[in-house]
Amino acid sequence: MSDELVQIETPFAFNEENQREFNELIGRYPIKEAAMLPTLHLAQKQAGYITPAVMKYVAEQLEVTVMKVKDVVTFYPMFFEEPVGEYVIRVCHTLPCALRDCKVVLDHLKAKLDTDIASETNLAKGTTADGKFTLMKVECLASCDVAPVIMVNDDLYKNLTPEKVDEILNNL
Amino acid sequence: MVEERRILYEHLDVPDINTFDVFRQYDGYARFEKAIAEYQPDDIAKMVMDSGLKGRGGAGFSTGLKWSFVPKDIKPCYLCCNADESEPGTFSNRYVLEKNPHLLIEGILICCYAMGIETTYVYIRGEFTLGKKMLDAAIKEAYENGYLGKDIRGTGLNVDIYSHPGAGAYICGEETGLIESLEGKRGQPRNKPPFPAVEGVFSKPTVVQNVETLCNLPFIVGNGVEWYTQMGPTYADTRSDPPTPDPNTGTKLYCISGDVNEPGVYELDLGLTCSELIEVAGGLRGEEVKAVIPGGSSAPILTHYELDTRLDFTSLTLAKSMLGSGGIIVMNETRNIVDCLLNIMKFYAHESCGQCTPCRWGTPWVRDIVQRIADGNGRKDTITRPKFGVAENGRWGDTGETEEIYEDLDLLESVANNIANVDTMTWNTICVFGIAVSWPAVSYLRKFRPEFEAAIREGKLVTLPIAEATVPPEENYAYQQRFVPKEFADL
Ligand SMILES: Cc1cc2nc3c(=O)[nH]c(=O)nc-3n(C[C@H](O)[C@H](O)[C@H](O)COP(=O)(O)O)c2cc1C
Ligand code: SF4
Ligand code: FES
Repeated sequence: MSDELVQIETPFAFNEENQREFNELIGRYPIKEAAMLPTLHLAQKQAGYITPAVMKYVAEQLEVTVMKVKDVVTFYPMFFEEPVGEYVIRVCHTLPCALRDCKVVLDHLKAKLDTDIASETNLAKGTTADGKFTLMKVECLASCDVAPVIMVNDDLYKNLTPEKVDEILNNL
Repeated sequence: MVEERRILYEHLDVPDINTFDVFRQYDGYARFEKAIAEYQPDDIAKMVMDSGLKGRGGAGFSTGLKWSFVPKDIKPCYLCCNADESEPGTFSNRYVLEKNPHLLIEGILICCYAMGIETTYVYIRGEFTLGKKMLDAAIKEAYENGYLGKDIRGTGLNVDIYSHPGAGAYICGEETGLIESLEGKRGQPRNKPPFPAVEGVFSKPTVVQNVETLCNLPFIVGNGVEWYTQMGPTYADTRSDPPTPDPNTGTKLYCISGDVNEPGVYELDLGLTCSELIEVAGGLRGEEVKAVIPGGSSAPILTHYELDTRLDFTSLTLAKSMLGSGGIIVMNETRNIVDCLLNIMKFYAHESCGQCTPCRWGTPWVRDIVQRIADGNGRKDTITRPKFGVAENGRWGDTGETEEIYEDLDLLESVANNIANVDTMTWNTICVFGIAVSWPAVSYLRKFRPEFEAAIREGKLVTLPIAEATVPPEENYAYQQRFVPKEFADL
């Protein structure tokens, strides 16, 4: 068994507010398992990333095996199995953004934050030393009309230039 | 110049249209009220069928026909609204969710009434945090005002709507991938049949419908079928005798991006041409149009020879491309097609769900071949192969001649065609993601082969002048338009 799995961790449980939201969620579906994605989103919001303890907890809540949760977590790019920075910066690099020079934005961010770009299997690579930022590339964010775009956590920023990027970073 | 006709987007920019009260002032929910007061559910289904409405999500399948496949005696039946909007180049659903979510709710209500559905899930892509927030707020208001929940407006109708977030996987836009994902699993598409209409989410009949498709319903009900069918061309399908009407009715939320001066969403009647749309979007940014992707990144590319192609379902199918999601991406003379293909293939290689071997292995393989051509390491050896084209019988096939081709280009075409064959339109995969990979790969290569050859020959990316970069239609079967559609009215 890998070290990761036997590692002793702080157990996870929903806080009061999230528990309430979870109780509401679960009533929406005829089977509990269907609440998997919203539950994982909720858990990730609380824990920062999906630890084995989170998976175990979610599995218990939804009455499925831990493997099943792991299966889902590994499929979807929005679930992180490693710690990420306080701000996750997603830079769109699909064709319409590429036609509008998203590379300039990406290079500027790399230089400014002094970090590489995270890959799905190595988030640490794109995370700044102070743990404040994680820089990653993502596919089309459905905002190609205002390309190039980035998302910083939940917020979308449009029509970017290096100057605008500086302004955004300063205001965080 | 072609005029915009704003119907779905008419009130998009009205301040506070996202609130129940303001939405009500602009006819909001009046169309739903009309539906329940004046029509039986079957009447609505018939109106939708007669309107000729085709799905706006990608496949362009007749909505009325899809509804007719749903068995009436199996309950519950579900509606899944597809708000996954991840096809590169598409961004019209986002604005509906963020700015006018009550319109979607009204569309959903009409669909639920027509189909006897009590539960709807709106599958919203995970990145649409604002869209989800706005929709959730609108759903809450609709409950408070008695337009959702039990016994709506005293009619005995019960409808619940729940939003369900995705988590960043493109394949969850495919209807059966969406259903799997909604059930709390990996979003891996299912084999069809059974189609979702018969056996979908939670093994029950399920109607999967795009946001834009559902937003058309209030207007079809409110203004009538006759009004609706006046918009957009109805072609004559002459394969049958007498010809049958092939409707491309209604408006389309065209999303235009790339090298145009005013990218954005333009609501126009279906059937305007590519050049007209570019003009509506403020004209080209640059000197000349090199290429246009007409229906999201999955669609085969159009060259400057094809700019008079009408952007509707039928015309684009006949031009061997597709309207898809209506995401139009324009490229000017400075763009390198090999580079563009590389970008798109990276996308698909990342997004394959991994179930089918041809797709799981083939897609990264295609990407790697394009990558090495773009890096200047394309294999320079040539092979001689049979030349395909318009054969003596006038159909596509072996011409009896041979042609010299760089090994890598032959490999690229054959790997792509083995994921899904674009000539025979058969695929070796569970879902049509396979076609979405091989369509761009093969069409870019066939239509812009000189640019691929130059990259291999010179050992670096070379952007050729448009005239040199493009293979003319007479010389390549990638174009081969079978016939020009004729409007039904002109027969
Ligand atoms: C790979 C793939 C991705 C798709 N992505 C979307 C999408 O993001 N949004 C959407 O509405 N339909 C998408 N579709 C089309 C759906 O499978 C389905 O046809 C559509 O949601 C049906 O709704 P409609 O008839 O209203 O268009 C996709 C299809 C495929 C094969
Ligand atoms: S074709 Fe590709 S995306 Fe579709 S089911 Fe097969 S592996 Fe998954
Ligand atoms: S390509 Fe960047 S938002 Fe669509």
